[in-house]
Amino acid sequence: MTYEYDVVVVGAGNGGLTAASRLAQEGLRVVLLERHNLPGGCAASFVRGRFEFEASLHELCGVGTPEKPGAVRRLFTQLGADAGFINEKNLFRAITVGEDGFDVTLKSGGEEFYRSVTEACPGSEKAVRKLRKLMDDTEKALEYNDASKGSPSKLVMLLKYSKFLLSASHSIDDILRSLGFTLKERHILETYWSYLGVPADELNAFHYLEMLRGYINGGAGVPYHKSYGLSLSLADVFLKNGGEIRYNTEVTGLIFENGRVAGVTAGADEYRAKEVVSNVIPHNVFGMKGRENIPPREKRLLNARKLGISFICIYLGLDATAEELGIKDYSLFVAHMASSRNQYLAEHAKGMYVVNCLNVAVPDATPEGTCSLFFTVPIFTEKLIRGFDSGNYREMKSEVAELYIEDYERVTGIRIKDRIEEISVATPVTFARYFGSPNGTAYGYELSKWDSLMARNLSQESELNIAGLTFCGGHSVRGDGYGVSYESGMSAAEAVIKRMKGSRDGQKD
Amino acid sequence: MGRRTDRNKEPGGKLSVAEFLRLVPERLKKIAGSSDSDVEQAADYPVNRLAAEIHPGTQNLRIAKVCTLSADTKLYTLIPDPESGTASLAPFAPGQYISVRVEKDGRILSRPYSLASSPEEAAGNGKGDGVYEIAVRRIPGGEVSGHIHENWEIGTRVTVSEPMGEFTYERLRDAGCVVGIAGGVGITPFRSHIRSILRGGESFRLILLYGVRKEEDIIFGSELEEAAKSGMIRVVYVYSDEKKTGCESGFITPGLIRRYAPDSEYSVFACGPSSMYRFLEAELPALGLRRKYVRYDAKGQIMEPRGEPDYTPADGSEYSITVRRNGDGKTVKCHPDETVMSAIERGGIAVPSGCRSGECGYCHSRLVSGRCYIPASRDGRRQADKIYGYIHPCVSYPRSDLVIEVPPVPAGPSVRGDTE
Ligand SMILES: Cc1cc2nc3c(=O)[nH]c(=O)nc-3n(C[C@H](O)[C@H](O)[C@H](O)COP(=O)(O)OP(=O)(O)OC[C@H]3O[C@@H](n4cnc5c(N)ncnc54)[C@H](O)[C@@H]3O)c2cc1C
Ligand code: FES
Repeated sequence: MTYEYDVVVVGAGNGGLTAASRLAQEGLRVVLLERHNLPGGCAASFVRGRFEFEASLHELCGVGTPEKPGAVRRLFTQLGADAGFINEKNLFRAITVGEDGFDVTLKSGGEEFYRSVTEACPGSEKAVRKLRKLMDDTEKALEYNDASKGSPSKLVMLLKYSKFLLSASHSIDDILRSLGFTLKERHILETYWSYLGVPADELNAFHYLEMLRGYINGGAGVPYHKSYGLSLSLADVFLKNGGEIRYNTEVTGLIFENGRVAGVTAGADEYRAKEVVSNVIPHNVFGMKGRENIPPREKRLLNARKLGISFICIYLGLDATAEELGIKDYSLFVAHMASSRNQYLAEHAKGMYVVNCLNVAVPDATPEGTCSLFFTVPIFTEKLIRGFDSGNYREMKSEVAELYIEDYERVTGIRIKDRIEEISVATPVTFARYFGSPNGTAYGYELSKWDSLMARNLSQESELNIAGLTFCGGHSVRGDGYGVSYESGMSAAEAVIKRMKGSRDGQKD
Repeated sequence: MGRRTDRNKEPGGKLSVAEFLRLVPERLKKIAGSSDSDVEQAADYPVNRLAAEIHPGTQNLRIAKVCTLSADTKLYTLIPDPESGTASLAPFAPGQYISVRVEKDGRILSRPYSLASSPEEAAGNGKGDGVYEIAVRRIPGGEVSGHIHENWEIGTRVTVSEPMGEFTYERLRDAGCVVGIAGGVGITPFRSHIRSILRGGESFRLILLYGVRKEEDIIFGSELEEAAKSGMIRVVYVYSDEKKTGCESGFITPGLIRRYAPDSEYSVFACGPSSMYRFLEAELPALGLRRKYVRYDAKGQIMEPRGEPDYTPADGSEYSITVRRNGDGKTVKCHPDETVMSAIERGGIAVPSGCRSGECGYCHSRLVSGRCYIPASRDGRRQADKIYGYIHPCVSYPRSDLVIEVPPVPAGPSVRGDTE
């Protein structure tokens, strides 16, 4: 069959759902094609026994409060999606074991954050003041950049926003050092590095601080009905605005016409459209039928890139409450060595991992008398799943889960092993299966130094520039994360709307 | 004091604005230096290859052997069919099932069957020489079981799903000793456990209470008795309709379980017909076991929904269901005690299905309008599904006319259940 639409959106992940919703809101005829039978991609949940587990979300940055909404809350409001969020007052607790270790809790919210940093790092008042100034300056520089519509005056930037230029081109570790933070203090402040997947000595400072700012301001947010609730709320507004979703529909080819993408194919079906938005990672799109039309410069870009990280996730349903077990933290970062570079290279349960207890933020997230824990182990290097094969897969999953469960018990003194009522373990294999992404990456492309947010941003006009095709999602310019994936969907939609409106006006003349 | 020195020891590095100007040139250099050959296909990455081995979606198999086990039950041996694209069998854990697809009068129908053989037998010598076994009991009036009995013979080509389901043993969760309760053909997953234990795959103690009507209904009898000699397994027959010395009679009650259970902690695993689940759910609390120690297999189709404790009667005697898919629409009729799924299938529309028990989520569909009765014992939906109006048609009974959007059965290998 051949179908005709204004826009085809491929993939119903965070980016695709947002783009589709925004486009339908504009009155365009949009079809959203998804190979799975559910919307959300990463943003999903699953049921085991009497538990429903959040599949991927730790916390959303940029939620803010209803009074002072952050970017994500504003985006949902703009689209008319009725998502319910709960704010979490603590940013995280971080326990690093070992000689240069620490056990600190940082709070979210402007003042509270800086106060908690000063408490955790005695003597750092001056450096903290400088950090705060830098964050504010960065915000102003961004406002200036936005106001200048992406072509800021170099001179103004150099004179007025040179601090911003420094953070935009140095690692977070270099910047924090220049502000006067000691090694240990830097380790504390860099705790979130794994969310972006590049060690602090390489991770772009501006990017990190932007993320941090999103978490600090107004607090991190957790959706009341898990990330899957957010996905369904977006699917809902999309459908209400006349959009169509086709599940179990895997896109397998791109249709090129006159050097432009003119649609996609899914098996024997053709979906023709004026514009295609892809939430599917460029690697996979460039592997589809029609790939002979992809210009060499784009292939070069992809071949130069390193794939982003994946995860091992351990989901535990426990038959005791968080209170009974003594679990007080929503987000706990555990590390066995302080340097993020060493954590990146470490063996299982010797590096770092994150443990979330959703019940701390959403007390009724699981049935009465129970709670759940969600361990996330970033898989930075392939060696962490070397040795997995189809014959030992299940046993390897149990073994790895046991390692982390026991480590958690040792580090926190909290006994959980004999309370496990449900357990499920996801690995890069799981993510490869559900998202189809190469090596199961959940983070798109590594934000290495040359491929940092800033470098991507400055080059975006000339890259992945294929007429009729726009990318959005965790693999695009702004990197991974829920907030930025939603926003990338929004930007993709706005770009498409602008072009389509432009061409419509053009036809009128 | 120490801190001050620390701070001084680390002067602020040499930051330079010139770095900013280098960002783009460095990037361009890096890109220019890389190859312009086609990017590697995702399917060729090692993790994706492993994912495809473990989760092939569908498998194309051939019947290698048929054995009659009892008056109404046959054992089928399935092997990979490389000519149809399946070179080896997907691995699984005892307790999992496959969804078997048949074509009958031009309609695609599917049913879940527990794998009755062990994972070790499925692996074979790793050269595509593995086997699956499933035991199929013919249900009087059953659509698919009858079709299988009549049509499957050596050489028949069949399409099945990858292994699915959560009725598996997990040492981090379950007790070291399991009291298995098997009702009738519900013996099949336990046979898989037993064969795996004997082959050194799984290791836990299994006390199996095997309930059937009469002695002649027992299947795998001599095999079970042989297995019991290993010391890891104990088998007790429980006849509901006759008395035999050395065997129990009546139903499998808490009292009977207590008689055979160890003094230490144990898990109860149960698999049988829906009447048995209903009985156990009412009776087992008397044992005072923690919930984590009671596990049921995917509970399957409800034989008489009226017997469910939360049954909601219908106002009408027949409802119409409008099924929307990819722009098309078709209307079918449905009796209030028939599942939405079976009505749709009867209407000739293929529905993705796996467990047909409300658990795997594979039939996940959007209820555009109308009301359904969904028994609490089968409702495996997510919280948000309930809010935004999604149902699992395999366990939903209409209580008004319905409009429903059902996704197509996926073409090719992307058949996916809800397992990791
Ligand atoms: C375990 C885990 C924990 C995380 N924790 C956090 C966190 O705490 N905070 C945070 O902000 N971020 C977190 N992230 C990252 C965040 O989830 C992702 O960066 C973000 O969801 C990416 O969204 P996306 O728009 O790229 O869509 P994706 O989730 O990548 O979805 C892409 C969609 O496209 C579909 N698709 C693929 N190929 C095809 C095809 N050929 N045809 C049709 N459809 C196709 C896929 O099935 C999928 O639905 C986490 C991710 C994971 C996995
Ligand atoms: S088929 Fe498994 S939930 Fe319906």
